[in-house]
Amino acid sequence: MSKKSISVNQATLVYFILVVLTLLAWLVTKTNISGVHVSMVILLVSLLKGHLVGDYFMGLNRVNSFWRWAIVVWLLIPGVLIGYAFLI
Amino acid sequence: MKFESQKVAMPYFIAAIGLFVGQILFGLIIGLQYVVGDFLFPEIPFNVARMVHTNLLIVWLLFGFMGAAYYLVPEETETELHSPKLAILMFWVFLVAGALTILGYLLVPYAGLAQMTGNELLPTMGREFLEQPTITKIGIVIVALAFLFNIGMTVLKGRKTVVSLVLFIGLVGLAVFFLFSFYNPDNLVKDKFYWWWVVHLWVEGVWELIMGSILAFVLIKTTGVDREIIEKWLYIIIAMTLITGIVGTGHHYYWIGTPEYWQWWGSIFSALEPIPFFMMTVFAFNMVNKRRRNHPNQAAVLWALGTAVMAFLGAGVWGFMHTLAPVNYYTHGTQITAAHGHMAFYGAYVMIVLAMISYSMPLMRGRKAANSNKSQVMEMWSFWLMTISMVFITLFLTGAGILQTWLQRFTETPQPFMVVQDQVSLFYWMREIAGVFFLIGLVVYIASFFVGGEEATESKARSSV
Amino acid sequence: MNEKRYPPGDLAIWIFILAELLVFAIFFASYAFTRASHVELFNIHQLQLDTDIALVNTLALITSSYFVVRAVKAISVGKRSECVKWLLGAIFMGLIFLVVKSVEYAHHYSNGINLRTNLFYMFYFSLTFFHYMHVIMGVVILSVVTYKGYSGGYSAAEHTGIETGASYWHMVDLVWLILFPLVYVMR
Repeated sequence: MSKKSISVNQATLVYFILVVLTLLAWLVTKTNISGVHVSMVILLVSLLKGHLVGDYFMGLNRVNSFWRWAIVVWLLIPGVLIGYAFLI
Repeated sequence: MKFESQKVAMPYFIAAIGLFVGQILFGLIIGLQYVVGDFLFPEIPFNVARMVHTNLLIVWLLFGFMGAAYYLVPEETETELHSPKLAILMFWVFLVAGALTILGYLLVPYAGLAQMTGNELLPTMGREFLEQPTITKIGIVIVALAFLFNIGMTVLKGRKTVVSLVLFIGLVGLAVFFLFSFYNPDNLVKDKFYWWWVVHLWVEGVWELIMGSILAFVLIKTTGVDREIIEKWLYIIIAMTLITGIVGTGHHYYWIGTPEYWQWWGSIFSALEPIPFFMMTVFAFNMVNKRRRNHPNQAAVLWALGTAVMAFLGAGVWGFMHTLAPVNYYTHGTQITAAHGHMAFYGAYVMIVLAMISYSMPLMRGRKAANSNKSQVMEMWSFWLMTISMVFITLFLTGAGILQTWLQRFTETPQPFMVVQDQVSLFYWMREIAGVFFLIGLVVYIASFFVGGEEATESKARSSV
Repeated sequence: MNEKRYPPGDLAIWIFILAELLVFAIFFASYAFTRASHVELFNIHQLQLDTDIALVNTLALITSSYFVVRAVKAISVGKRSECVKWLLGAIFMGLIFLVVKSVEYAHHYSNGINLRTNLFYMFYFSLTFFHYMHVIMGVVILSVVTYKGYSGGYSAAEHTGIETGASYWHMVDLVWLILFPLVYVMR
C-alpha cells in the first residue's frame, strides 16, 4: 500500500499558485477597486490559500479526518463570520 | 510511603485543616453579618472578620501546598528530603507568624497594628488579601525561600520528573509573584495593575501548575496509568494555562484606568481560560477510565475527579460568565464575583489539597494504601456534603448577583447599593444555611480521620466510579 | 489508501496549533464585527497601511513555508545537508519578515501612531504584534531544529522534530494568509 505523499512538484506548484493569488490580491489594493463583492472574493481566495497550505504544506490531505477538518473548520467558521460582518 | 522524610507533610496537613476550620467559622460570621449587620459588632466588625476569613484561606492552602510538596517530591525524585529539620522549623515559624497575624487582626485596630509593626518603614498594608503587616510578609518570604531551597535541593539531588519539575516551577512562581505585594505605588491605577500580578498570576497562573502537578501525581498513584501519558497531558494543560492566563490578566484591567485595548485583550484571552480546566476534567476522567487497578483509596480518587469538575465549573464556567468586558461592565464587583470566587477556590485549590491529604495521610499514618471502608465512606460523605453545599452557596450568590446587577446597574432606574442589598437578603440567608451545611461537612471530614477499622484492600474497595 | 492517523510531527504541537488558531480566529472575528460598527474609521485608516511592504512580507512567509516543505522532503530521503540548507533559507525568509515588519512599526511610531491611536490601529497592532511574536517563536523553533539537523540528530527514519517545527511554522504562515487580506485589503 503506497502512502500518498506530496511530491516536490506538487508542492512547488502549490507555491506558485499561492504567490500568484497573493499578487492578485495586492494588485486589487493598487487599483481603486473596492466594495463588498470584491472583499468577498478576496476572502474566499484567502480561505482557498489557507486550505492549500493546510492540505499540501502541512500535509493534512493524507491524514485522519479530524485534523484535516479542524483546519477546514478553522477556515470556514471565522470565514463565514468575517464574511457576514462585512456584509452587514 | 517510601521515604521517612515524607512524614514532615503531616504537621503541615494538620495545620492546614485546623486553619480551614477557622476560615469557615469566620465565613459563617461574615455571612451572618451580611443580614444581621451588627452581629458581633464592635468586637469583631465585618472588615476584620473578612480579613481573617480570606487570609486564613490563603495561609491554609499554602500549608497544604507545602505539605503536598514535602510528600510528593521525595517520592518523585526517589530521594529523601534535603532537610526535614528545616521543614519542621519553617512549619513552626509559619504557624506562629500566621497565628500572631490573625490575633493582630482580631485584637488590635488595624491602624494600630500598622503602627505597631512599623508599616511606615515599608508600607505594604491595606490592600485586599494583602492586609498582612510588612513583617509578616517578610516572614512569608523567608519561609518560602527556605521551603524552595529545601525542595530545590531535593529535586537537584534526585530523579527529575515532569511532575516534580512542574510543581517546583509553580512554587517558584508563587514566591516570585508574591514579591509584588511589596510594590505599593502611589498611583492608584498602577497600584491596582500590579496587585493583580500577585492575585491573578497566582490563582489563574502558577497555582494552576501546582494543582495540575498534584493532580497528575494522585492519578499516577491511584490509577496505575503510564506516567508518560499523564505527563504529556500535564504539559499540554499547563501550556494552555499560561497561554490563556498571562494575557488573560487583562480581564482585571477593564475599568481601573488602563488603556481601552485591555478590554479586547482581556476578553479574548480570558475567555479561553476555561480550556485548561476543561482539559483537566477530561484528563482526570480519562485516566481513571483507563486505570489498571482499583486502588483501595477510592476516597482519594473521588476527590481527584471532584476537583477537576468543580474547578472547571467554578473557575471555568462561572469565570467565563462574567469575563467578557461588556458583561463585566455591569457585573463587576457584585455577588457574581463572590459566587465565582467561592466555587473556584473550593473546586481548584481546596479540593486538590484535600485530594492530596486523602491520598497521603493514610500512608503517613501507617496504612499500606488506604483507610478502612468505614472511614472512606465517611470521608466520601464529607466530600458530598461540602461540595453540594458549595454548589448551593454559589447558586444563591449567583441569584443575588443577577438581581443586584439588574437593580443596581442595568435598569433604567438604578437603585442605590444598600437598597438593593435589602432586596437580595433572602439569598444571603439561604447562603448562610448552605454555609452551615458546609461546616457540617467539614466536621464529618475531620471525624473520618478518627474512624479506624480494617484497611480496605483492592478487591474489597468500593469503587466510587 | 493507507491514511495516517496523526498529522506530521509531535501530537502535542498540534494541540498548541489548534489553541493558537483558536485565539487568532476569535481576534479575526472580533476585528470583523467591530469594523461593522465603524466602517468609515476602518476604511480611512486601512488606506494608510503600506500594502507593498505587506506584499513583501506575505511572499516571504509563503516562500519560507515552501522551503520548509522542501526541507522535510529532503530529510525524509536522508539528505541531511540539503535539508539544513532549505531550513536556513526558511529562517532567512522569516527574518526578512521580522525586519520588514519592524521597519513598518518604526514608521508608524515615528508618525505617532500606536496601539491607543484609535480602534482600527488597536486591532492592527494587536493582531500583527501577536503574529509577530509567533514568527519569532517559529524562527527560534526552526533554528533549534536546524542546529539539531546540522549535528546529525535527524534521519530518514526519525525526523519528528523537523516535522513538528515545520507544522508550527506552517501555522504561522496560515494565520498571516488570513490576516493580510483581512486587515490590509478587504474594505
